[in-house]
Amino acid sequence: CVGAFILQCKRLDFHYCDWAGSSKGMNIFLRTALTKFAAANPQIEMVVSPRPNKHPVIIGHYINGREKRYKAELLRDASGEKLKKVTKPVKSINESVRGVWSPYHGGGIVIRV
Amino acid sequence: MKRLRLERWSGQLLSARTRPCCLRQWKQVEAFGNRRLQSSQAASKNNFEDLEADLTPNPNHPSPYPAAALRSAKLAALHARLSLPQKLPLQTLARTLVDPSADPSPDFNNASLALVGGPIMSYYVAEWLTCHYPRLPMTVLFAATYAYNGPPTLTRIGKEWGVETAAYPGSEVDPGLLQFNKVTPGSPLPSLGASTRPDNRDWFRRGISSRNVYDDEFGDQIKFPENASVSNPQPTETAYSNFVKAVVGSIYLHAGRNAAKAFVQDHILSRHLDISSLFRFQHPVRELARLCQREEFEYPVARILSETGRHSRHPVFVVGIFSGNEKLGEGAAPNLLEARLRASVVALKSWYMYSPGNSTRVPSETEEVGTKPWEPVHIDLGEIIH
Repeated sequence: CVGAFILQCKRLDFHYCDWAGSSKGMNIFLRTALTKFAAANPQIEMVVSPRPNKHPVIIGHYINGREKRYKAELLRDASGEKLKKVTKPVKSINESVRGVWSPYHGGGIVIRV
Repeated sequence: MKRLRLERWSGQLLSARTRPCCLRQWKQVEAFGNRRLQSSQAASKNNFEDLEADLTPNPNHPSPYPAAALRSAKLAALHARLSLPQKLPLQTLARTLVDPSADPSPDFNNASLALVGGPIMSYYVAEWLTCHYPRLPMTVLFAATYAYNGPPTLTRIGKEWGVETAAYPGSEVDPGLLQFNKVTPGSPLPSLGASTRPDNRDWFRRGISSRNVYDDEFGDQIKFPENASVSNPQPTETAYSNFVKAVVGSIYLHAGRNAAKAFVQDHILSRHLDISSLFRFQHPVRELARLCQREEFEYPVARILSETGRHSRHPVFVVGIFSGNEKLGEGAAPNLLEARLRASVVALKSWYMYSPGNSTRVPSETEEVGTKPWEPVHIDLGEIIH
Protein backbone atom coordinates (compact mmCIF):
# COMPACT_ATOMS: atom_id res chain seq x y z
CA CYS A 1 0.00 0.00 0.00
CA VAL A 2 1.14 3.56 -0.63
CA GLY A 3 2.04 5.50 2.48
CA ALA A 4 1.05 8.96 3.62
CA PHE A 5 2.06 11.93 1.46
CA ILE A 6 4.41 14.36 3.16
CA LEU A 7 5.27 17.59 1.37
CA GLN A 8 9.04 17.80 1.23
CA CYS A 9 9.22 21.57 1.56
CA LYS A 10 8.84 22.34 5.27
CA ARG A 11 9.76 26.01 5.49
CA LEU A 12 10.03 29.06 3.24
CA ASP A 13 12.02 32.12 4.33
CA PHE A 14 11.02 35.32 2.53
CA HIS A 15 13.63 38.06 2.74
CA TYR A 16 12.81 41.56 1.55
CA CYS A 17 14.30 45.06 1.69
CA ASP A 18 12.38 48.30 2.05
CA TRP A 19 15.00 50.51 0.44
CA ALA A 20 16.36 48.52 -2.50
CA GLY A 21 14.51 48.80 -5.78
CA SER A 22 15.03 45.14 -6.64
CA SER A 23 12.76 44.20 -3.76
CA LYS A 24 9.71 45.88 -5.25
CA GLY A 25 8.18 42.69 -6.62
CA MET A 26 8.85 40.83 -3.41
CA ASN A 27 7.19 43.56 -1.33
CA ILE A 28 4.10 43.47 -3.53
CA PHE A 29 4.01 39.66 -3.25
CA LEU A 30 4.28 39.79 0.53
CA ARG A 31 1.51 42.35 0.79
CA THR A 32 -0.95 40.77 -1.60
CA ALA A 33 -0.34 37.15 -2.48
CA LEU A 34 1.41 35.71 0.56
CA THR A 35 -1.65 35.17 2.75
CA LYS A 36 -3.36 33.21 0.01
CA PHE A 37 -0.23 31.19 -0.73
CA ALA A 38 0.25 30.39 2.96
CA ALA A 39 -3.39 29.41 3.41
CA ALA A 40 -3.19 27.13 0.40
CA ASN A 41 -0.08 25.44 1.79
CA PRO A 42 -0.60 24.99 5.54
CA GLN A 43 2.16 22.42 5.74
CA ILE A 44 4.86 24.96 5.04
CA GLU A 45 6.12 27.24 7.80
CA MET A 46 6.42 30.75 6.32
CA VAL A 47 8.92 33.16 7.84
CA VAL A 48 9.13 36.76 6.66
CA SER A 49 12.08 38.88 7.72
CA PRO A 50 13.84 41.94 6.36
CA ARG A 51 17.32 41.63 4.94
CA PRO A 52 18.47 45.20 4.50
CA ASN A 53 20.58 46.30 1.55
CA LYS A 54 20.43 42.90 -0.10
CA HIS A 55 18.48 41.53 -3.04
CA PRO A 56 15.25 39.77 -2.08
CA VAL A 57 15.45 36.01 -1.88
CA ILE A 58 13.24 33.06 -1.00
CA ILE A 59 15.02 30.19 0.71
CA GLY A 60 13.29 26.83 0.91
CA HIS A 61 14.17 24.31 3.62
CA TYR A 62 13.48 20.67 2.87
CA ILE A 63 13.06 17.55 4.93
CA ASN A 64 16.31 16.02 3.75
CA GLY A 65 18.08 18.99 5.35
CA ARG A 66 19.06 20.84 2.18
CA GLU A 67 18.13 24.39 1.22
CA LYS A 68 17.32 25.95 -2.13
CA ARG A 69 16.80 29.42 -3.53
CA TYR A 70 14.25 29.81 -6.28
CA LYS A 71 10.69 30.91 -7.00
CA ALA A 72 7.99 30.16 -4.48
CA GLU A 73 5.84 27.71 -6.43
CA LEU A 74 8.83 25.82 -7.76
CA LEU A 75 10.28 25.63 -4.25
CA ARG A 76 7.05 24.26 -2.85
CA ASP A 77 6.79 21.57 -5.48
CA ALA A 78 10.44 20.53 -5.33
CA SER A 79 12.10 18.13 -2.98
CA GLY A 80 15.50 18.85 -1.50
CA GLU A 81 17.34 16.74 -4.04
CA LYS A 82 19.72 18.32 -6.52
CA LEU A 83 18.38 18.87 -10.00
CA LYS A 84 18.93 15.78 -12.08
CA LYS A 85 18.20 14.85 -15.66
CA VAL A 86 15.67 12.01 -15.72
CA THR A 87 16.28 9.59 -18.58
CA LYS A 88 14.35 6.50 -17.50
CA PRO A 89 10.55 6.48 -17.50
CA VAL A 90 10.06 4.52 -14.25
CA LYS A 91 11.88 4.45 -10.91
CA SER A 92 10.89 1.57 -8.62
CA ILE A 93 12.14 -0.61 -5.78
CA ASN A 94 10.38 -3.69 -7.17
CA GLU A 95 12.34 -6.15 -9.28
CA SER A 96 11.75 -6.44 -13.00
CA VAL A 97 8.59 -8.32 -13.89
CA ARG A 98 10.04 -10.57 -16.56
CA GLY A 99 13.43 -11.07 -14.94
CA VAL A 100 16.89 -10.05 -16.04
CA TRP A 101 18.38 -12.13 -18.87
CA SER A 102 20.89 -14.76 -17.77
CA PRO A 103 23.12 -16.86 -20.03
CA TYR A 104 22.68 -19.93 -17.78
CA HIS A 105 18.93 -20.18 -18.14
CA GLY A 106 16.83 -20.51 -21.23
CA GLY A 107 18.15 -21.83 -24.48
CA GLY A 108 21.68 -20.57 -24.02
CA ILE A 109 23.85 -19.25 -26.81
CA VAL A 110 23.72 -21.44 -29.86
CA ILE A 111 26.42 -21.02 -32.46
CA ARG A 112 25.42 -22.30 -35.86
CA VAL A 113 28.04 -22.83 -38.45
CA MET B 1 -14.99 -10.69 26.86
CA LYS B 2 -15.33 -7.21 28.24
CA ARG B 3 -13.85 -4.61 25.97
CA LEU B 4 -11.09 -2.48 27.49
CA ARG B 5 -12.24 1.10 27.63
CA LEU B 6 -8.92 2.82 27.17
CA GLU B 7 -10.65 6.14 26.53
CA ARG B 8 -12.06 6.13 30.03
CA TRP B 9 -8.83 5.23 31.77
CA SER B 10 -6.89 7.84 29.88
CA GLY B 11 -9.23 10.68 30.72
CA GLN B 12 -6.79 11.93 33.30
CA LEU B 13 -4.16 12.32 30.60
CA LEU B 14 -6.22 14.88 28.78
CA SER B 15 -7.75 16.77 31.66
CA ALA B 16 -6.86 20.41 32.18
CA ARG B 17 -3.25 20.81 33.12
CA THR B 18 -1.87 23.23 35.61
CA ARG B 19 1.26 23.89 37.49
CA PRO B 20 0.26 24.66 41.09
CA CYS B 21 2.80 27.49 41.29
CA CYS B 22 1.36 29.69 38.58
CA LEU B 23 -1.93 31.47 39.20
CA ARG B 24 -1.88 33.20 35.84
CA GLN B 25 -1.85 29.92 34.04
CA TRP B 26 -4.75 28.68 36.15
CA LYS B 27 -6.71 31.64 34.78
CA GLN B 28 -5.78 30.55 31.26
CA VAL B 29 -7.07 27.09 32.02
CA GLU B 30 -10.34 28.52 33.21
CA ALA B 31 -10.53 30.44 29.94
CA PHE B 32 -10.40 27.09 28.14
CA GLY B 33 -13.39 26.10 30.22
CA ASN B 34 -11.61 23.43 32.23
CA ARG B 35 -12.98 20.92 29.80
CA ARG B 36 -11.95 17.32 29.62
CA LEU B 37 -10.68 16.75 26.09
CA GLN B 38 -11.71 13.14 26.28
CA SER B 39 -14.61 12.69 23.96
CA SER B 40 -13.99 12.84 20.27
CA GLN B 41 -16.32 15.79 19.80
CA ALA B 42 -14.28 18.10 21.96
CA ALA B 43 -11.69 20.57 20.71
CA SER B 44 -13.20 20.83 17.27
CA LYS B 45 -12.19 24.44 16.76
CA ASN B 46 -8.76 25.70 17.63
CA ASN B 47 -9.60 29.33 17.95
CA PHE B 48 -9.55 30.00 21.68
CA GLU B 49 -7.24 32.92 21.11
CA ASP B 50 -6.61 34.08 24.63
CA LEU B 51 -5.30 37.51 23.75
CA GLU B 52 -4.90 38.62 27.34
CA ALA B 53 -2.67 35.68 28.12
CA ASP B 54 0.81 36.74 29.01
CA LEU B 55 3.07 34.38 27.17
CA THR B 56 6.37 35.82 28.36
CA PRO B 57 8.56 32.82 29.11
CA ASN B 58 8.88 32.00 32.77
CA PRO B 59 12.36 30.70 33.62
CA ASN B 60 10.86 28.46 36.30
CA HIS B 61 8.96 26.47 33.71
CA PRO B 62 10.97 23.89 31.77
CA SER B 63 8.62 23.81 28.78
CA PRO B 64 6.53 26.38 26.89
CA TYR B 65 3.01 27.31 27.90
CA PRO B 66 0.28 25.22 26.25
CA ALA B 67 -1.26 28.45 24.91
CA ALA B 68 1.97 29.21 23.04
CA ALA B 69 1.18 26.24 20.83
CA LEU B 70 -1.46 28.30 19.06
CA ARG B 71 1.15 30.87 18.03
CA SER B 72 3.74 28.49 16.67
CA ALA B 73 4.09 28.30 12.89
CA LYS B 74 6.19 25.13 13.07
CA LEU B 75 3.51 23.30 15.02
CA ALA B 76 0.69 24.35 12.70
CA ALA B 77 2.79 23.31 9.72
CA LEU B 78 3.49 19.92 11.33
CA HIS B 79 -0.21 19.38 12.01
CA ALA B 80 -1.05 20.09 8.38
CA ARG B 81 1.89 18.15 6.96
CA LEU B 82 0.81 14.96 8.72
CA SER B 83 -2.86 15.62 7.87
CA LEU B 84 -3.73 15.04 11.51
CA PRO B 85 -7.44 14.98 12.32
CA GLN B 86 -9.00 18.28 13.35
CA LYS B 87 -10.03 16.71 16.65
CA LEU B 88 -6.39 16.65 17.71
CA PRO B 89 -5.63 20.11 19.14
CA LEU B 90 -2.33 21.88 18.74
CA GLN B 91 -1.82 21.91 22.49
CA THR B 92 -1.67 18.11 22.60
CA LEU B 93 0.67 18.07 19.62
CA ALA B 94 2.92 20.48 21.49
CA ARG B 95 2.85 18.16 24.46
CA THR B 96 4.01 15.21 22.33
CA LEU B 97 7.18 17.15 21.54
CA VAL B 98 8.22 17.52 25.20
CA ASP B 99 10.35 14.61 26.42
CA PRO B 100 10.34 13.70 30.14
CA SER B 101 14.02 14.63 30.30
CA ALA B 102 13.03 18.21 29.40
CA ASP B 103 10.10 18.50 31.77
CA PRO B 104 9.63 15.97 34.57
CA SER B 105 6.02 16.93 35.27
CA PRO B 106 3.82 14.14 33.89
CA ASP B 107 1.07 16.59 32.97
CA PHE B 108 3.28 18.43 30.52
CA ASN B 109 5.49 15.76 28.93
CA ASN B 110 4.79 12.99 26.48
CA ALA B 111 5.55 10.01 28.73
CA SER B 112 1.93 9.04 29.32
CA LEU B 113 0.97 9.62 25.68
CA ALA B 114 3.90 7.47 24.57
CA LEU B 115 2.81 4.79 27.03
CA VAL B 116 -0.59 4.69 25.30
CA GLY B 117 0.67 4.98 21.74
CA GLY B 118 3.72 2.71 21.85
CA PRO B 119 1.89 -0.57 22.49
CA ILE B 120 -0.85 0.38 20.00
CA MET B 121 1.74 0.94 17.28
CA SER B 122 3.77 -2.17 18.04
CA TYR B 123 0.59 -4.26 18.23
CA TYR B 124 -0.52 -3.27 14.73
CA VAL B 125 2.99 -3.90 13.36
CA ALA B 126 3.26 -7.29 15.08
CA GLU B 127 -0.17 -8.47 13.97
CA TRP B 128 0.50 -7.38 10.39
CA LEU B 129 3.79 -9.28 10.30
CA THR B 130 2.41 -12.37 11.98
CA CYS B 131 -0.57 -12.60 9.64
CA HIS B 132 1.28 -11.75 6.41
CA TYR B 133 4.39 -13.83 7.11
CA PRO B 134 3.20 -16.66 9.36
CA ARG B 135 6.31 -18.80 8.98
CA LEU B 136 9.01 -16.32 9.93
CA PRO B 137 11.53 -17.63 12.46
CA MET B 138 11.36 -15.84 15.79
CA THR B 139 14.69 -14.01 15.41
CA VAL B 140 13.66 -12.74 11.99
CA LEU B 141 10.29 -11.66 13.37
CA PHE B 142 12.04 -9.71 16.13
CA ALA B 143 14.34 -8.10 13.56
CA ALA B 144 11.44 -7.20 11.30
CA THR B 145 9.47 -5.55 14.14
CA TYR B 146 12.63 -3.66 15.08
CA ALA B 147 12.98 -2.53 11.47
CA TYR B 148 9.42 -1.27 11.36
CA ASN B 149 9.14 0.44 14.74
CA GLY B 150 12.48 0.30 16.52
CA PRO B 151 14.13 3.52 17.78
CA PRO B 152 16.34 4.12 14.70
CA THR B 153 13.35 3.82 12.37
CA LEU B 154 11.17 6.06 14.53
CA THR B 155 14.01 8.62 14.54
CA ARG B 156 14.04 8.52 10.75
CA ILE B 157 10.27 8.87 10.63
CA GLY B 158 10.34 11.83 13.00
CA LYS B 159 13.00 13.55 10.90
CA GLU B 160 11.09 12.82 7.71
CA TRP B 161 8.15 14.61 9.23
CA GLY B 162 10.35 17.70 9.45
CA VAL B 163 10.68 17.76 13.24
CA GLU B 164 13.88 19.40 14.46
CA THR B 165 15.36 19.36 17.93
CA ALA B 166 15.77 22.31 20.26
CA ALA B 167 19.33 22.96 21.37
CA TYR B 168 18.27 23.04 25.01
CA PRO B 169 14.81 22.76 26.57
CA GLY B 170 13.20 25.81 28.16
CA SER B 171 10.01 27.86 28.25
CA GLU B 172 11.17 30.21 25.49
CA VAL B 173 11.65 27.39 22.96
CA ASP B 174 9.38 27.25 19.92
CA PRO B 175 6.71 24.64 20.77
CA GLY B 176 7.23 23.03 17.35
CA LEU B 177 10.72 21.77 18.24
CA LEU B 178 11.44 18.45 19.92
CA GLN B 179 12.64 19.27 23.42
CA PHE B 180 14.79 16.88 25.40
CA ASN B 181 17.90 16.92 27.52
CA LYS B 182 20.69 16.09 25.11
CA VAL B 183 23.68 13.93 25.96
CA THR B 184 26.75 16.15 25.76
CA PRO B 185 29.21 15.06 23.07
CA GLY B 186 31.98 12.92 24.45
CA SER B 187 30.13 11.86 27.57
CA PRO B 188 29.09 8.21 27.89
CA LEU B 189 25.59 7.17 26.98
CA PRO B 190 23.24 6.48 29.88
CA SER B 191 24.45 3.23 31.40
CA LEU B 192 21.98 0.43 31.76
CA GLY B 193 21.92 -1.68 34.88
CA ALA B 194 21.25 -5.36 35.34
CA SER B 195 18.38 -7.00 33.55
CA THR B 196 15.16 -7.82 35.35
CA ARG B 197 15.03 -11.42 34.21
CA PRO B 198 14.69 -13.98 37.03
CA ASP B 199 17.10 -16.34 35.24
CA ASN B 200 19.87 -13.79 35.17
CA ARG B 201 22.82 -16.09 35.95
CA ASP B 202 25.99 -16.88 34.04
CA TRP B 203 25.07 -20.48 33.37
CA PHE B 204 21.61 -19.71 32.00
CA ARG B 205 21.38 -19.48 28.23
CA ARG B 206 19.03 -16.75 27.17
CA GLY B 207 17.03 -18.71 24.65
CA ILE B 208 14.58 -17.42 22.08
CA SER B 209 11.45 -18.78 23.75
CA SER B 210 12.21 -17.05 27.03
CA ARG B 211 12.45 -13.73 25.22
CA ASN B 212 8.74 -13.87 24.50
CA VAL B 213 8.07 -13.91 28.21
CA TYR B 214 10.74 -11.71 29.75
CA ASP B 215 12.07 -9.33 27.10
CA ASP B 216 10.61 -6.43 25.14
CA GLU B 217 8.91 -6.63 21.75
CA PHE B 218 12.25 -6.75 19.91
CA GLY B 219 13.71 -9.61 21.96
CA ASP B 220 16.11 -7.27 23.80
CA GLN B 221 16.54 -7.40 27.54
CA ILE B 222 14.69 -4.85 29.62
CA LYS B 223 17.24 -3.11 31.79
CA PHE B 224 16.59 -0.35 34.25
CA PRO B 225 19.33 2.30 34.47
CA GLU B 226 21.32 2.53 37.68
CA ASN B 227 20.80 6.21 38.51
CA ALA B 228 17.24 6.34 37.30
CA SER B 229 16.04 9.91 37.07
CA VAL B 230 13.51 11.28 34.64
CA SER B 231 15.65 14.30 33.73
CA ASN B 232 18.73 12.26 32.80
CA PRO B 233 20.14 13.12 29.37
CA GLN B 234 18.61 10.95 26.67
CA PRO B 235 19.96 9.90 23.29
CA THR B 236 18.25 11.47 20.27
CA GLU B 237 16.80 8.08 19.30
CA THR B 238 14.92 7.74 22.57
CA ALA B 239 13.50 11.26 22.26
CA TYR B 240 12.29 10.81 18.69
CA SER B 241 10.78 7.38 19.37
CA ASN B 242 8.92 8.77 22.41
CA PHE B 243 7.63 11.57 20.20
CA VAL B 244 6.31 9.26 17.45
CA LYS B 245 4.69 6.96 20.00
CA ALA B 246 3.12 9.99 21.69
CA VAL B 247 1.64 11.17 18.38
CA VAL B 248 0.02 7.77 17.87
CA GLY B 249 -1.25 7.86 21.44
CA SER B 250 -2.71 11.36 21.08
CA ILE B 251 -4.47 10.42 17.83
CA TYR B 252 -5.95 7.38 19.59
CA LEU B 253 -7.17 9.46 22.50
CA HIS B 254 -8.64 12.33 20.49
CA ALA B 255 -9.76 10.71 17.27
CA GLY B 256 -10.35 7.09 18.15
CA ARG B 257 -9.04 3.67 17.32
CA ASN B 258 -9.68 3.69 13.58
CA ALA B 259 -7.78 6.94 13.09
CA ALA B 260 -4.82 5.57 15.05
CA LYS B 261 -4.81 2.35 13.00
CA ALA B 262 -4.96 4.30 9.74
CA PHE B 263 -2.11 6.52 10.93
CA VAL B 264 0.09 3.52 11.78
CA GLN B 265 -0.68 1.93 8.42
CA ASP B 266 0.06 5.11 6.47
CA HIS B 267 3.29 6.04 8.19
CA ILE B 268 4.81 2.86 9.56
CA LEU B 269 3.47 -0.20 7.78
CA SER B 270 3.68 1.40 4.34
CA ARG B 271 7.47 1.45 4.56
CA HIS B 272 9.34 -1.04 2.43
CA LEU B 273 11.36 -3.73 4.18
CA ASP B 274 13.34 -6.42 2.39
CA ILE B 275 12.68 -9.31 4.79
CA SER B 276 14.88 -11.73 2.87
CA SER B 277 17.92 -9.71 3.90
CA LEU B 278 17.17 -10.35 7.60
CA PHE B 279 17.87 -14.06 7.39
CA ARG B 280 21.14 -15.69 8.40
CA PHE B 281 21.44 -19.48 8.30
CA GLN B 282 24.12 -21.49 10.08
CA HIS B 283 23.76 -24.83 8.27
CA PRO B 284 21.18 -24.34 5.53
CA VAL B 285 21.77 -27.73 3.86
CA ARG B 286 21.10 -29.55 7.12
CA GLU B 287 18.14 -27.32 7.94
CA LEU B 288 16.53 -27.95 4.57
CA ALA B 289 16.97 -31.71 4.99
CA ARG B 290 15.25 -31.55 8.40
CA LEU B 291 12.46 -29.42 6.93
CA CYS B 292 11.78 -31.92 4.18
CA GLN B 293 11.81 -34.73 6.73
CA ARG B 294 9.28 -32.93 8.91
CA GLU B 295 6.98 -32.01 6.06
CA GLU B 296 7.35 -35.52 4.61
CA PHE B 297 8.82 -34.36 1.32
CA GLU B 298 11.34 -36.51 -0.45
CA TYR B 299 14.92 -36.11 0.66
CA PRO B 300 16.48 -33.04 -1.05
CA VAL B 301 19.06 -33.80 -3.71
CA ALA B 302 21.34 -31.23 -5.36
CA ARG B 303 21.74 -31.46 -9.13
CA ILE B 304 23.78 -29.37 -11.53
CA LEU B 305 21.51 -27.47 -13.87
CA SER B 306 24.22 -25.83 -15.94
CA GLU B 307 27.86 -24.89 -15.73
CA THR B 308 30.38 -22.99 -17.77
CA GLY B 309 32.84 -25.86 -17.40
CA ARG B 310 35.20 -27.13 -14.70
CA HIS B 311 38.30 -25.65 -16.24
CA SER B 312 36.87 -22.39 -17.50
CA ARG B 313 38.49 -19.14 -16.46
CA HIS B 314 35.65 -18.01 -14.15
CA PRO B 315 33.48 -21.06 -13.65
CA VAL B 316 29.83 -20.63 -12.79
CA PHE B 317 27.83 -23.60 -11.55
CA VAL B 318 24.06 -23.38 -11.35
CA VAL B 319 22.82 -25.97 -8.88
CA GLY B 320 19.22 -26.80 -8.09
CA ILE B 321 17.88 -28.55 -5.00
CA PHE B 322 15.23 -31.10 -5.91
CA SER B 323 12.76 -32.92 -3.75
CA GLY B 324 11.68 -35.71 -6.07
CA ASN B 325 10.94 -33.95 -9.35
CA GLU B 326 10.18 -30.56 -7.84
CA LYS B 327 12.83 -27.90 -7.70
CA LEU B 328 12.88 -26.19 -4.31
CA GLY B 329 15.60 -23.66 -5.02
CA GLU B 330 18.47 -22.76 -7.28
CA GLY B 331 21.79 -21.02 -6.74
CA ALA B 332 24.77 -19.96 -8.83
CA ALA B 333 28.34 -19.75 -7.54
CA PRO B 334 31.96 -20.27 -8.64
CA ASN B 335 32.16 -23.65 -6.91
CA LEU B 336 29.80 -26.56 -6.38
CA LEU B 337 29.65 -26.41 -2.58
CA GLU B 338 28.73 -22.76 -2.48
CA ALA B 339 26.18 -23.21 -5.23
CA ARG B 340 24.47 -25.96 -3.24
CA LEU B 341 24.56 -23.70 -0.17
CA ARG B 342 22.94 -20.82 -2.02
CA ALA B 343 20.30 -23.11 -3.44
CA SER B 344 19.45 -24.38 0.06
CA VAL B 345 19.25 -20.82 1.36
CA VAL B 346 16.86 -19.86 -1.43
CA ALA B 347 14.72 -22.92 -0.74
CA LEU B 348 14.55 -22.16 2.99
CA LYS B 349 13.72 -18.50 2.37
CA SER B 350 10.93 -19.46 0.02
CA TRP B 351 9.51 -21.64 2.79
CA TYR B 352 9.88 -19.17 5.65
CA MET B 353 8.71 -16.14 3.67
CA TYR B 354 5.48 -17.72 2.58
CA SER B 355 2.68 -15.16 2.60
CA PRO B 356 -1.04 -15.84 2.16
CA GLY B 357 -1.24 -12.61 0.14
CA ASN B 358 -1.82 -8.90 0.60
CA SER B 359 -5.51 -9.37 1.28
CA THR B 360 -4.90 -11.40 4.44
CA ARG B 361 -7.13 -10.28 7.25
CA VAL B 362 -5.75 -9.20 10.61
CA PRO B 363 -7.52 -9.83 13.94
CA SER B 364 -8.11 -6.12 14.64
CA GLU B 365 -10.46 -5.99 11.64
CA THR B 366 -13.07 -7.74 13.76
CA GLU B 367 -13.32 -4.62 15.94
CA GLU B 368 -14.91 -2.71 13.10
CA VAL B 369 -18.63 -2.73 12.59
CA GLY B 370 -20.08 -4.94 9.90
CA THR B 371 -17.11 -7.17 9.10
CA LYS B 372 -17.39 -10.76 8.04
CA PRO B 373 -17.00 -13.43 10.70
CA TRP B 374 -13.40 -14.15 11.55
CA GLU B 375 -11.76 -17.11 9.83
CA PRO B 376 -8.52 -18.29 11.35
CA VAL B 377 -5.35 -17.35 9.53
CA HIS B 378 -2.51 -19.74 8.90
CA ILE B 379 -0.63 -20.60 12.08
CA ASP B 380 2.59 -22.38 11.40
CA LEU B 381 4.20 -25.31 13.16
CA GLY B 382 7.35 -23.28 13.75
CA GLU B 383 10.88 -22.97 12.53
CA ILE B 384 13.26 -25.88 12.07
CA ILE B 385 15.46 -26.52 15.06
CA HIS B 386 18.45 -28.66 14.28
